[in-house]
Amino acid sequence: MTQLTLQHFLALGSILFALGMVGFLCRRNLIIMFLCTELMFQGIAINLIAFGRYHFASDPQAFFAAQSFVIFVLVIAAAEAVLALGLVVLLYRQKRTLDSQAWQELKG
Amino acid sequence: MNLLASTTAGTVVYPLLLIILCAVAGVGTVLMLPARREKAMRTIGGAIVLVAAVILASTLIRFSAGVGDPMGVYFWIFAALATFGALRVITHPRPVYSAVYFLLTTFASAGIFVLLWAEFMAAALILIYAGAILVTYVFVIMLASHADQGGGGAGSDGGECDQVSREPLAAATIGFGLMALLLYVIFDKAPVNRAVGELSTRDVSVQRLAEYLFSHQLVNLELAGVILTLAMVGAIVIARRRMWSPLAPKSANDKFEIGDDNPHSLPVVGTDNPRQKEFPEN
Repeated sequence: MTQLTLQHFLALGSILFALGMVGFLCRRNLIIMFLCTELMFQGIAINLIAFGRYHFASDPQAFFAAQSFVIFVLVIAAAEAVLALGLVVLLYRQKRTLDSQAWQELKG
Repeated sequence: MNLLASTTAGTVVYPLLLIILCAVAGVGTVLMLPARREKAMRTIGGAIVLVAAVILASTLIRFSAGVGDPMGVYFWIFAALATFGALRVITHPRPVYSAVYFLLTTFASAGIFVLLWAEFMAAALILIYAGAILVTYVFVIMLASHADQGGGGAGSDGGECDQVSREPLAAATIGFGLMALLLYVIFDKAPVNRAVGELSTRDVSVQRLAEYLFSHQLVNLELAGVILTLAMVGAIVIARRRMWSPLAPKSANDKFEIGDDNPHSLPVVGTDNPRQKEFPEN
């Protein structure tokens, strides 16, 4: 059995973040791209909570500061999800496809 | 074994090993990403990623082998579930399955939060992600994918955009390069077995969190409420405005048409009401 350290949780958070980034970059379905941003948010949330937990000994306030950070991350994630999905529905109505490459002309 | 240098404080993670593992996992992920290739390739990719993950896990176990932690085994279970779910989210060709695997990752993260004594955040994560955000995603998937090009029904693998990924090699290079960099920074000169500080249930009660929120973060909390309200109004406005072009643009000067915001302008399937529009608009 192992002693869990801060590094374990940071590693897990960074793995989730990086996987979300890979998905965001290479998937073409708009919905999955935004699902991948949620994945990145979760990696960040794990990081924050782990920092708060492992700094509890030096500063008990940090524990709650980290949790309130995560609350705000969740708020932003919810707002982002609802706006992004509204935009996805709008885009889908125009081209009848979820393919992000249908909007390649935006590259200019 | 000789890749792991021994120090007085314990074992450290050899940085080169981390980078190699990230590269191997990247190759496996590229093989797993949706593309027009045989199913066997995806299985091989999965096996490669699995091997990399197991080696990384055993390295991390060696990194901190020492005093037993009764929570340790749960961490490994939740971490494995979260990573597996995340991998399937980005590699599954069908959006609904991606959403369900994202649910798995959410539950695993909630378990990690419980291990970190953040019970309220675990509950909030499940309520908000699994209860609210994911339902919205599934709704939009159902709304948007039933008539996707190719006429894919529920049983098909979706359209072209779900079958072929865009620049998988470049994306994996960037993503797994970032992962290698982050892991390198995390484990570079990491203090081993840092003191955690004991917690009791009284220290971490929701009451203490609420006191903190409403004494230190009051303005931010109200701003969060404003942001949510604005997002709701914005989403309604965005999704309500009816702009469309016909399925295929008929001519080059075919302008986008802006529909009115009258609720009766929404087409309804099989309606008899003369004030409503029939659904397949002509």
